[in-house]
Amino acid sequence: MVAGLVDALVLTHFQALSVFAFFVSLVFAFLTKQRMGARARYFIWSFLAFLLVGLALGWLMYPFPR
Amino acid sequence: MEEQTRSTVVADTPVGRRVGWEPYALGVAGWLVPGLGHLLQRKLDRAVVFFVSILALAGLGLAMGGRLFSWELGNIFHLLGFLGNLGAGLVFFGAKLAGLGTGDLSRALGDYGTTFFLTAGLLNVLTALDAYDIAVGKKG
Repeated sequence: MVAGLVDALVLTHFQALSVFAFFVSLVFAFLTKQRMGARARYFIWSFLAFLLVGLALGWLMYPFPR
Repeated sequence: MEEQTRSTVVADTPVGRRVGWEPYALGVAGWLVPGLGHLLQRKLDRAVVFFVSILALAGLGLAMGGRLFSWELGNIFHLLGFLGNLGAGLVFFGAKLAGLGTGDLSRALGDYGTTFFLTAGLLNVLTALDAYDIAVGKKG
């Protein structure tokens, strides 16, 4: 069953980054902020920062394949 | 007057004491099962978010073919990886007992899976410490 799941789960690099950023930002928002409004703002900021930094690092490393 | 004093004492008592659990026990509960330390202190929103997020990260990590580290004293990276995995509590022990996490490093996604599970473990340690902090009254 697990082998089937592993074969079925195919994510692109960007999808993997987005899923990772979503859950980590969610946990950080609930750990650091008390009010829902502040949590929502922190979540959006952290999620976008993860994506932006990930894309920027990928772009910077593009000339160095190995 | 007496009623007011009693309500002030209740308000000043950390949640962990009010619900009848020792703070360290709430920390350990939060480590064993993500979000349990918060659930026992009736912090339902945080408990649900931590449970779902950490289980999702750990489950996706295993489904991606991530690798679980073993106790190897000779290799510092494996040792640190093992400690990070151990942070996931019962999720880690369950995955090990089920024979999951053997790793599929033939593709990049397996490497990502290893990172997903490690992150789940480290986040779970943070949430367990958060449950302890709430119990001793350092946080609301």
